Amino acid sequence: MDMLGMYPTFYVPEIGSAWVMGIIGTIHVVASHTSVGAAFLFALLATKAYRESRPELMDYVKRYGKVLLVFSYIIGSVTGVGIWYAITIASPRGTAGLIHNFVWVWAAEWVYFTVEVIGVYALVYLIEKVDRLTHLKLTWAFALASWATMLLIVGILSFMMWPGNDSWYLTGSTNDAFYNINFFAHLGVRTGSMLVMAVIVGLMIAGSMREKSPALRIEAVRTIVPMGILGGALAVLMFFYYLETLPYNAKVMLHSHLLPRYAAGMVLVVTITFIYFLAAWAKPLFLRNWITVPLFLFVAIIGVWPEERTRESMRKPYVAGQYIYGNQTIARDVPGKGILSEIEHISKHGILGIHPFIPETLRTVSEENRREVGELLAKISCGNCHSLEPGSPLRNLPDKFHGSTDVELIAAFINGPLKNGSVPYMPRIDLPEQETYAIATFIASQNLGERNRPSMPVDTTQSGATGEQ
Amino acid sequence: MEADVGFILNTMRDPAGIPAPPWLFQVLMVLTWVAHIAFVLVTLGAAALSIVAFYLRHHHPHWQQLSIAMTKGAKIGVSLLIVLGVAPLLFTQVIYDPQWYTASVLSARWLIIFIFTLIIGYCSWFVFYYSNKPEAQTRLGLFALLGLGLFLLDGLIMHVLAYQSLQPDQWMNWYAPNGQVDTRGASLHAIQWSRFLFIISLSAPALALYLLAYADYYSRRSDRPKDYRDFVRQLGRRIGKVGCLISLPLLFWWLLDLPGHLSTSAHTPGWLLAGALIILAIQIDRLGSLPGRGYLLLFSGLIPLGLMALWREVIRVHAMKPFGYDIHDYTVHADLPSTILFFLTLLGIGGIFGGFLVLLLYRAGQVEGKYQADRTIARLGTLSVVVLGLWITVFFVYGFSIWVRHAIGF
Ligand code: HEC
Ligand code: HEM
Repeated sequence: MDMLGMYPTFYVPEIGSAWVMGIIGTIHVVASHTSVGAAFLFALLATKAYRESRPELMDYVKRYGKVLLVFSYIIGSVTGVGIWYAITIASPRGTAGLIHNFVWVWAAEWVYFTVEVIGVYALVYLIEKVDRLTHLKLTWAFALASWATMLLIVGILSFMMWPGNDSWYLTGSTNDAFYNINFFAHLGVRTGSMLVMAVIVGLMIAGSMREKSPALRIEAVRTIVPMGILGGALAVLMFFYYLETLPYNAKVMLHSHLLPRYAAGMVLVVTITFIYFLAAWAKPLFLRNWITVPLFLFVAIIGVWPEERTRESMRKPYVAGQYIYGNQTIARDVPGKGILSEIEHISKHGILGIHPFIPETLRTVSEENRREVGELLAKISCGNCHSLEPGSPLRNLPDKFHGSTDVELIAAFINGPLKNGSVPYMPRIDLPEQETYAIATFIASQNLGERNRPSMPVDTTQSGATGEQ
Repeated sequence: MEADVGFILNTMRDPAGIPAPPWLFQVLMVLTWVAHIAFVLVTLGAAALSIVAFYLRHHHPHWQQLSIAMTKGAKIGVSLLIVLGVAPLLFTQVIYDPQWYTASVLSARWLIIFIFTLIIGYCSWFVFYYSNKPEAQTRLGLFALLGLGLFLLDGLIMHVLAYQSLQPDQWMNWYAPNGQVDTRGASLHAIQWSRFLFIISLSAPALALYLLAYADYYSRRSDRPKDYRDFVRQLGRRIGKVGCLISLPLLFWWLLDLPGHLSTSAHTPGWLLAGALIILAIQIDRLGSLPGRGYLLLFSGLIPLGLMALWREVIRVHAMKPFGYDIHDYTVHADLPSTILFFLTLLGIGGIFGGFLVLLLYRAGQVEGKYQADRTIARLGTLSVVVLGLWITVFFVYGFSIWVRHAIGF
């Protein structure tokens, strides 16, 4: 038998599993970055309160702590597991690849995280309950630990983009995978933006403390805003550096698809946030939550959502380390780990020949089952990145083929650019004739809108080689 | 057929292999799962009791006080059981990746439901936590019931994943019943009620041990007077005895429910577990009403839990045997640096910073009013900051040197 280690496929109609991932990811990034950033603001305020013997500043910390606790840590931890689950069901082999390369790094992160969850309770409940110096140590240890979790996860995330050099492929060493080319840039962006997010939440809290003395509010706001501005500047600078560390396929994707769609929003987020910070600094007492709360949502939706989608899209066609494709195939040899590319094997035997999870009735293509086989093959080889329903939001395939119902024309695209691997952001998908034809039949019938009638009406739209959107 | 399935199982293993010997992951998986399930059980028990006590609070003020305490305990418990679940989740998928990922994909929607119900359940619990005051209206108890109900559902989903993993020969039937492929992942395909209900029933003895330790812990606080502590202790003793009595028949049911082809050695830990539960029940009866024995009993509760964790793994090993799946022949590409990273972090950060936190919370909770750290704790605090600073420094220096080596092309 020539089976490869493929898994069953999970497919979410319309939005694909990619969007499920994006939604959970966005919540997670907002929650986790806010909490790490907040940990530092905490430490800053606590230090000031301690040095200047001003316990009333701790009121602010206490109130902030409750939000940090409820909102960020718990939501952050559940959605952290959530991202993991989402990538598991969307890309089991990609997830397995990451886990098997980084299990000890993740395990170390877990140690941190466990300690932090205990720490967050200690931090909030022990304010004014233990002596101030002990509490101050607690705050700093907590802030450093929170950042350490970020340090650990960023190495893994940036490896997902690419290692950026040959070392890892040759040695298979976690060191080489982890400290990859865009590690430091990526870390800078995240560290900066976590401060920005935390400051916005901090301003929300300051805005809701209107019963407290004006002096305290001014003091608190003016202590935290500079952190936000510095953080924002760091994030922007590092973002430009980050762009320089990207692989070719990501740059193509960025320039052809992503920047046109998201650039304006990103500039807007940065500008508005900056202006708001300046205003808050100038007039701390005028802070109002009907401005801050929408600002927070604005950053989350116009800032973080595109960021998550971009990072995910730029990685295309890979899901991890430029060696596993989004469609769960191993794209290249990794001698350091004894991993072999599966492309040739698939082109020889077809997916139907190598995939363990194909019902026997669909293993050979016939006139009757062609569309059904095509649907399954499309879910397996395209569904990770494309939805299959016309008009649906995740780069849906029927529309990518411009609504074409011409089986030959669709097959020509698959047999051309896809087979040769000449589209930088798509996997090389080299399938036997009958499988290509089955996929094309399915897509054509989706466009035709009727089951089981993949006939060949005339259609003169050009081949979909130049995608829009 | 089984040979085919076995062959496929082995090809589905990650081609990268694993970075340390398989037994190491297996041991860590079992040990960390003990921690997870311990918090699961105590939390479920505390949550249930806080609800019962909430509805009984007009009978006696003790119930009110207990309800508030248990609500808070469950709140903290949930956040800990979540992080403690992460470690076994990680280690399981290192050595049992084919099983875990397939089981997950086949019930994919339920994994997403798991996340959202956990969030909703936790928020709902928080609402109850904030509103559980003497003057609270009775209908607020609904928030707690919703929270507990969702936690139980989440436990059931976890169980289904574990149980589906054990049955590779069924996967294709679930994925493509009658040859019709179903990519929706919309069903929970297999539930073994005996196993699930037994595990959940242990939350009664777990709660009991928690109550006994709780009664001892607060012995120095006047806001938990002696009659309240005695009340809690008696309640714990009763719940413990009744709980063990309920768990035992469920355990026998599970033993009978194991597939016939499993060899007798797969049953052994189960029988030991039955013995451990009986001994625990006797000990609770004997020592439960004596002050000062709470911690001993609490820690002895780890014995049955350890046996249960071991048993689950023995069952899995036996269930995989006919398929020729044996974790010990997983390809190993040893990766020393990252292995060292984990163990040093566990010792340095988990041990020192974690130790500092736990000790500090423990001591501070015992006193009324402000707690002044003693020398040990003060030193541990300083050491925590130093160790963290050191960890981060090493992380950067080491990382930068590797990064530079890459940049200049070695
Ligand atoms: C790893 C992800 C991935 C897989 C798998 C994938 N594609 Fe794509 N495809 C993309 C991306 C990214 C684009 C760019 C379009 C966009 O983002 O809007 C794209 C664009 C296209 C286009 C438009 C042409 C173009 O160059 O923009 C067609 C047609 C297409 N894909 C067909 C397919 C078919 C057919 C399959 C399966 C046999 C497939 N793709 C599998 C990622 C993928
Ligand atoms: C309220 C929430 C939860 C409850 C009630 C719960 C309960 C349980 C139960 C009863 C089991 C045993 C299942 C069996 O052996 O049949 C279990 C196993 C497990 N749980 Fe949880 N759990 C919860 C949340 C979590 C979370 C959030 C995670 C992950 C982060 C997690 C990870 C695990 C893992 C990895 C296993 C072992 C699975 C296996 O060995 O195959 N749990 N849980």
